[in-house]
Parts: sequence; structure tokens; C-alpha cells
Amino acid sequence: MERRSFLKGFGAVAACAVALPHVASAAEEKKSASPMAMNFETAVAAITGGKALVASAKVKMEAPEIAENGAVVPVKVTVESPMSANDYVKAIHILASKNGNVRCANIYLTPANGEAFFGTRIKLGGTQDVVAIAEMSDGSFLTAKQNVKVTIGGCG
Amino acid sequence: MRTLSITAALICLAFLGTANAEEKLSMSDADKAMYAELLENNPAEMDVAEGEQLFGELIGTAGYAKMLGVKEKDLPKYIAGFPRYLEPAKKVVTLAQTIQMAAAANEKPVPKLESKEMVKMSAYVKSIANGQKTSIDVKANKHMVEMMKLGQQVFEERRGGRGLSCNNCHSMDIVGQRLRMQPLPDLGAKETAAAGTWPAYRMTQSQMVTLDKRMQQCMKNALLAEIPLGSREIVALEVYVTNKTKGNPISVPSVKR
Amino acid sequence: MKTLIKIKPKNYKAGDIVKIDFMAMHPMETGMRKDKDTGNLIPANYIDEVKFMFNDTLITKMVIWESLSVNPLMSISFKVPGEGTLKVIAKDNKGQSVETTSAINPKG
Repeated sequence: MERRSFLKGFGAVAACAVALPHVASAAEEKKSASPMAMNFETAVAAITGGKALVASAKVKMEAPEIAENGAVVPVKVTVESPMSANDYVKAIHILASKNGNVRCANIYLTPANGEAFFGTRIKLGGTQDVVAIAEMSDGSFLTAKQNVKVTIGGCG
Repeated sequence: MRTLSITAALICLAFLGTANAEEKLSMSDADKAMYAELLENNPAEMDVAEGEQLFGELIGTAGYAKMLGVKEKDLPKYIAGFPRYLEPAKKVVTLAQTIQMAAAANEKPVPKLESKEMVKMSAYVKSIANGQKTSIDVKANKHMVEMMKLGQQVFEERRGGRGLSCNNCHSMDIVGQRLRMQPLPDLGAKETAAAGTWPAYRMTQSQMVTLDKRMQQCMKNALLAEIPLGSREIVALEVYVTNKTKGNPISVPSVKR
Repeated sequence: MKTLIKIKPKNYKAGDIVKIDFMAMHPMETGMRKDKDTGNLIPANYIDEVKFMFNDTLITKMVIWESLSVNPLMSISFKVPGEGTLKVIAKDNKGQSVETTSAINPKG
């Protein structure tokens, strides 16, 4: 590396060191639990009532592999289903496996949706799996997940 | 805290030194496409809509065009050329300052540059020029020539406890190097389209931010005294940065990290 | 609470499946953030329920938590049965509630 650009690069790093106290204090605040806090196992049990979760290609989960900012992570879930009166997706649940409260959204669908789809943006406290659980009208539970690496980008 | 900062700096340095770690650190094209979709549902659209309403109550496009001395139908093209030297102001002004001028001309309360209302209104006014190309003319007159020169000087001047300038992170020869984990952008590149895409919704702040405010936030993080909004120096900086993106399309509001 | 409904694509026929995008300006406070001036925790304040209705029939009900981003987006699919009114009712954990409507106007 050329010395001059190396030094300029160092300047860039120094410039942003000031933003680090926010990171540290955010970590400290995490120690006190939120009243909404719920871990992954408890949340899954509440959804499935103890029934088995089946990983399925019918559940298509889209989320970025790398998120430059944990505050806005786009998530889209589509579940393959005819969405007819007898065969439809009753609910899509989105969970962030390592957030203090892993529950993000429960979406209760009806055949009127025509397609089992939900799109949103979620907050991720750090790198983790985002999990979708589809509750089918036959009582089964299908699931898919995507690991999202949350990085800290840029200055300010 | 100090240890933490130094550790982080070393981690950052490690990244700066390993250019071929690119695939592990950067968003894939699929990731970028997902983020590009944010533009279709940009929360700042609601702010711009409110800005349109506020602007309508305060001035309206007809009164605004009249104050600027242009035909209403020529507003998009004209707005795309700011900052400009305006004779009534006897100085080079930003769009936000023209809103202040028009409010004063209408004998209405003049909104402060820092106010939420002004952020919304100036975003609306800039959005009138959506689809136009940034057409700032830094050689239009001696005032613009002077401001361009001053802008470059402010951009390159090292200030603050760490002796940093804008140029430390935004010079062309370090584009693509990493600041924390993000590649440093070329402010003039079409895909960055820096000046043409502000005001923008900043995801890190969950709110719409103007270009001059963004520059202040940059200064704050680099431990530089913030140059006041509306000052000659910050307008000059806007002239200099806008000129880098001349010819690139205007698209407001955008979404930024 | 400012809100916005978008139906995509803009032109659709009866029987088409469209996307309904609903956005709300809401702080989605987690209850874990500290006020920078006072050092006190800012109380949790988030949208906890959203209902999508078509001609007063429930299409989709959402139970939401604070993990959704600030100024959240909720997007669903909807098979257009015909003309009518789409109504979205969003409520937060403090009881603030807002109703937003949008006309469903299939063409052809």
C-alpha cells in the first residue's frame, strides 16, 4: 500500500472512533431485559404448541446476507400455497433469533390474500438468523431461515 | 473506552489493508437489489408530501416562480441549477434559502433552516426537479467562481483535534477503501449521485436529512466544529460537492445508510 | 401517525393479485433506548396491531412487536375481488389508533 493513501485511510478510521461510545453503551443497555423479551425456543413453542417445525423449500425467505445497518433490514417471505378455502397459509411468523424479543410479526392471512406473502423491515441487534414459520391450514408448520451479518458502516 | 477505540481502529486497519476480503464484507448484488427496493417505499415520501402542503400554504409554486423571476413551467430546470447567485439576495443561495426569501416576500413567518418544516419543504422543492440533471454552473458569474474556490478550500482544510478535512475520507485516491466496514464512495459517481439525491432518508437515523445537515453530522463525527447552516462556508461546500455530481440525475427523496 | 397506502401495480383487473404496501410514521420505541438528555429509558411505544379490511371484511391481521424498523413497512398480497374500499387500521401499544382508506378500482 502506498504510504500516502495509507495515512489518509488511517485518518478515516480515526475520524470514526468517536462513534464507538454509542456501540459500547448500546451493549450495556442490553443487560437489562425488556418487558417484551422472549427467547427463540419459547417463541417457537408459543407458535407451534410443541408441534414439529419442518424446514421446507415451500417457504421462500429473502433477506440480505450482509446488512450495513441493523436498524433497517428488509425481509420478504413467500409461501407456496394455492390459498384456497381448504388449503391456505393461516399465518406467517417472523422471528429474529437473537434479538432480546425474538418476535417481530405474526401475520394472520386468509384465502382473500390470493398469495401468502409478507414484506417488512426489521431491526437486528447483531448478526443472526432471521426465521420464518408458516402455519398451514392442515396444522403443519413449515420453516425457512436466512443468516444476516450485521456490519457497522461508515461514519455517523 | 480507550482500549475499545484502539481495538476497533486496529480492526478497521486490518480491513483497509486487505482489499481481497471484499466478498466477505460487501453486500452482494442481490443484497443491493433488496436495499434498492427501499426506494419504492421510502418513509420520507410522507415528509415530502407534508412539505408540499406546507410549501403550498406558505408560498405556492406560482409565488415561488415569480420571486425567482422564472416561469412556473421552467421551475424544474431552474431548481436543478442550485446553489445559484441571486441578485435580490446579493449572494449565492441554496434552495432552503430561496424558501426563506419567498416567505419574507410573502410577508409570512420565515422558517428557520434547522426546522423540521424547512427540511420537508426544501425536499419538496428539490423534488420538483426530479428527473432533471444537476446543472449547477460554477462559472456563471464571479460570485459562483468565488464560492467554488471557497468550497474547495473548506473541503480540503484540515481542522479540529485530529486535523481532519473532508478530503481525508473523500479524496478520489481512497475511494473504495473502508471506513469501519463500508467502502468509501466517490461523491461524484453516478451511482452515488451525492448532491442530486439529498435530502434523503437516513436509515441510521430513521429520518430525512438535508445535504448541509449531513455535512454537519460528518464534521461532528470527525471532531470538527460544525459549520453553521446558511453560512457562506457551508453554502460554498454545497457548491463544491454539487459540482462534483453535475450532469447526474436528481432523485429526491432517496434512501441512504 | 402519518400513514400511506400504495397499491402495486397501479392498474389492475378484478382477479389480479396486487401488493398492498402500508407505511406508518411511528417511532417504534423499543423501551431500551435512553434519552440522551435525562439518561432515563424512553418508554416502549410501538405499533402492536394492524388490520387490513376490504369492504369491512378482515383480509389480514398482524400482531407486531418493537423489532420492526422505525417508520415501518408492512406489505401483503391481495386478490382483487372487485370494486371496494380497502381500510387499514393500525394501533399502537399506547392505544393510539389510525384508520387509512384507499379505493380499490379494478379496470377491465
